[in-house]
Amino acid sequence: MDTDGKTAFEEPPCSTSQLSNYLWRDKPDEDKWADCVHCGMCLEACPTYEITGQEQHSPRGRVHLIKAVAEGKLEVSEPFTDPVFACLDCKACTTACPADVDVGGLIEEARGQIRQAMPLTGWRKGVSRFFLHGLFPHPGRLQFFGNLLKFYQKSGVQTLVRKTGMLKAMPEHLELMEAVMPEVQEPIRKKYKHETVVKADTESKREIAFFSGCVMDVMFSDVNESTINVLTRNGNDVAVPQNQTCCGALHVHAGDRDMGRKLAKQNMEAFKQADTVVGNAAGCGCMLKEYPELFREVDTEWREKAEAFAEKVVDVSKYLHDTGYDKPTAELNTRLTYHDACHLAHGQGVRQEPREILLDVPGVEMVPMENADRCCGSAGIYNITNPEMAEDVLESKMKNVPEEVEMISMGNPGCMLQMAMGVKKYGRSANVVHTVQLLDWAYQKEEEQRRQE
Amino acid sequence: MRRKKRLQTNDKHIKNLAAIVGEKEILFHKEDLTAYENDGFTIHSYLPKAVVFPKNTEETAEIVSYLSRNDLPFLARGAGTGLSGGAVPLNGEVIISLVKMKRLLNVDLKNRCAVVEPGYVNLTLTNSISDKGYYYAPDPSSQYCCTIGGNVAENAGGAHCLKYGVTTNHILGLEVVTPDGAIIEIGKNGIMDVPGYDLLGILTGSEGTLGIVTKITVRILTHPEEKKTVLAYFDDVADGSQAVSDIVSEGIVPAALEMMDGTAIEAVESAAYPVGHPKDIEALLLIEVDGISAGIEEQINKILDVCEKRNVRSVKVAEDEQERARWWANRKTGFGAMGAISPDYLVQDGVIPRSTLPQVLGRIREISQEYGLRIANIFHAGDGNLHPLILFDSRIPGETDKALEAGSACLQACADVGGSITGEHGVGIEKREEMRFVFSDKEIEAQTNIREVFNPYYLLNAGKLFPSPGRCGEVKKEEKAAASK
Ligand SMILES: Cc1cc2nc3c(=O)[nH]c(=O)nc-3n(C[C@H](O)[C@H](O)[C@H](O)COP(=O)(O)OP(=O)(O)OC[C@H]3O[C@@H](n4cnc5c(N)ncnc54)[C@H](O)[C@@H]3O)c2cc1C
Ligand code: SF4
Ligand code: SF4
Repeated sequence: MDTDGKTAFEEPPCSTSQLSNYLWRDKPDEDKWADCVHCGMCLEACPTYEITGQEQHSPRGRVHLIKAVAEGKLEVSEPFTDPVFACLDCKACTTACPADVDVGGLIEEARGQIRQAMPLTGWRKGVSRFFLHGLFPHPGRLQFFGNLLKFYQKSGVQTLVRKTGMLKAMPEHLELMEAVMPEVQEPIRKKYKHETVVKADTESKREIAFFSGCVMDVMFSDVNESTINVLTRNGNDVAVPQNQTCCGALHVHAGDRDMGRKLAKQNMEAFKQADTVVGNAAGCGCMLKEYPELFREVDTEWREKAEAFAEKVVDVSKYLHDTGYDKPTAELNTRLTYHDACHLAHGQGVRQEPREILLDVPGVEMVPMENADRCCGSAGIYNITNPEMAEDVLESKMKNVPEEVEMISMGNPGCMLQMAMGVKKYGRSANVVHTVQLLDWAYQKEEEQRRQE
Repeated sequence: MRRKKRLQTNDKHIKNLAAIVGEKEILFHKEDLTAYENDGFTIHSYLPKAVVFPKNTEETAEIVSYLSRNDLPFLARGAGTGLSGGAVPLNGEVIISLVKMKRLLNVDLKNRCAVVEPGYVNLTLTNSISDKGYYYAPDPSSQYCCTIGGNVAENAGGAHCLKYGVTTNHILGLEVVTPDGAIIEIGKNGIMDVPGYDLLGILTGSEGTLGIVTKITVRILTHPEEKKTVLAYFDDVADGSQAVSDIVSEGIVPAALEMMDGTAIEAVESAAYPVGHPKDIEALLLIEVDGISAGIEEQINKILDVCEKRNVRSVKVAEDEQERARWWANRKTGFGAMGAISPDYLVQDGVIPRSTLPQVLGRIREISQEYGLRIANIFHAGDGNLHPLILFDSRIPGETDKALEAGSACLQACADVGGSITGEHGVGIEKREEMRFVFSDKEIEAQTNIREVFNPYYLLNAGKLFPSPGRCGEVKKEEKAAASK
């Protein structure tokens, strides 16, 4: 039935509680907001509160407004939309909250209601549909789009566009994004199309399935390549299921929970055989782990499947840390700093593991970053929809990046793109790298040295 | 999507206020205002007329002067973590939020003081001077986010105030915007004993009813040479309370001496910062001693002895800073942790003579049974500052009222043994009536007379701190309103 992902909400709006102004199914979960005691311990953790100083842009304020709609005190309206959509989904509040309130979950549920009550119109609808439905779920198109952008940049078309003033119609930062976009390479999924399993280099100890991500696989296929290298180097057979798809995080953040569910189902099917699902994109990993939330109210059977699936998902840095990896012997001699991706630190509680991996690479000097677990503002397509706020968040992040480092390491492609934009915008010189890349480079250098001996 | 705010209103006051602070620094849509209908006290909710965000003292003064000329009620707000409703706009006030005034203006290590704006967050001060070996002593559990302006208004205390004193002991000077918009300075930066009345003392703890604090000079201290922290588990609350008395009688002045009971332990252990306390104990004590290294060991040994004598089940000294930090995070997030075991809580704040601790705790237990509501206790045992947390569910009809009554009964129990109805959270809206437990009408009047001197038209934070009817103020206000017609 649910093939077009629409059935769940095609029925007319219905209200289950008399008071609530949430009229559709999959409402913000009362159990989630009932936990909030309005203590305010989350305020200082929230980047949008830091910038605006406004309570409705704080986790506590957001929870309060979401609750006010449920109690019938407010309606789902434009001014309610503002604070709900200005949230970065960074989950810093979840870490800070002593009562473990799932603010992020509530916000996503509220967005689902808003998008049904007030569907997008105009260019926003266009942009949203283009990215979320037309592009991300389709690896082929994504690669094509990537190439197109590069072509656009390198050929004379870019100059032409600028001259004709067409760019004025495009948000400023898209320009910046396009400028820092890495060279598009061959995606992993395409490369390993004919191999069901990439075998471990030596004796195989474990088998895992790799979640390659959609944007990641096109724009950062070198990171994916590194991830596979590092895994196979450490005795893992790596399966790359071909029918996996976009994790759906961007859709869920945008309030398109139907599409989220559709993608979730496809991924759960794709990874049915696997016992362990390893990912290297914190945002995706976090989403995969949150699949149960998508089915909380609407589908018990799938919720149970999702729970089992979520258990299997693990970030590559934690996986390597827990199962063990060879410490490289070659020196990389570099000074770097580490940025905690929100969806790794706050979302999955992975903080120490990547740092330990980096410090195990000989010659790495780590300069601590202040507020390392503060959001960089990437947050999916947030910087397209909330450019002002995204810019402020990035600026505040870049102030914390130590001046003297050669590299900034992290575990999420969204952050990599955003930080690369930050580096460019603020005239820095550091290279933005993924944690596993460093390990891979050290292994490669080790190989080289061995060959030369 | 952050809309470009264009003023869509016909309200001339909103327009005029916006002209002072700028269009982006004012909120007036119902949705935005709803986020300001409570502070940390959620029992009563009122919508403000607007929220304005001044950037400096001058803007604050201009706003206040405008509001006062136009007879519009107003109040100050910091982080809104107050637990007695001090920042709740009872009369549809214009809220003056000071969170954008959050600069550290000066640090003077030689004279051991710092100057901050009111929106500066308590812990940020310690964080920004700690590499130089200094810290700001008052440490309310909400220090991660509450503002120093709010601390001054509430005369906030904290775990380490047993030895170092509460906020008022650390305030050296204030800049204040009076309710008619004048800017005055109180206390000459760090000079002790200015002649005349102790206005600093009156302003500190006045719960935002005398003026709006716009600049604060605070004392800063050097980090103690050494700290040691002890965690002790008791099977019997009475033994734990006795141990508290004994420690103090031994002549030890701990930096902190905190207690949690079984229900509180259940909450913190099911929340974000569990440390693995046993769930079947009746009480735990968290005891910290600090100072110069010589003598610390001896104090610790005495404390361990006392605990043994009082039948402690087990007791240990924190092995390192990490363990210590974990114990404190667990304690300091205790109120919020209630969310993990109850949808709502009401925290009370009574002070009692230390020796009556077992008796009052016993009475609180009875109250809990009488009202059929669970009550958790997390408190500063060393200075007899109780925090009974009454757990309830506001969605059940009638339960909120029951909780309020139970809270009031707890305060009565404190007053009955010669104690007080607030140690550090203030009276606000919450404990106005209970003021009568500890003050006679005459005594209350003496205080409202002081308020009248500062706040004659009673536009600033009216209806707080003293029981209604707010007698003189109300009359004056009506007179003024009548005269201006
Ligand atoms: C989880 C939790 C734990 C807490 N623990 C403690 C504790 O251990 N000890 C303790 O003492 N308190 C504690 N509190 C209470 C609260 O944090 C303190 O009262 C704090 O001082 C309030 O600061 P705020 O910035 O949040 O002020 P707000 O709540 O915004 O305001 C409090 C009052 O101060 C007034 N005010 C604020 N700023 C100014 C200003 N600049 N000028 C004049 N008036 C002003 C307001 O009008 C209001 O009446 C706790 C609260 C919570 C939620
Ligand atoms: S997820 Fe991030 S931006 Fe959103 S409310 Fe929480 S801390 Fe604020
Ligand atoms: S979300 Fe958590 S930290 Fe924030 S106000 Fe609610 S209970 Fe407190």
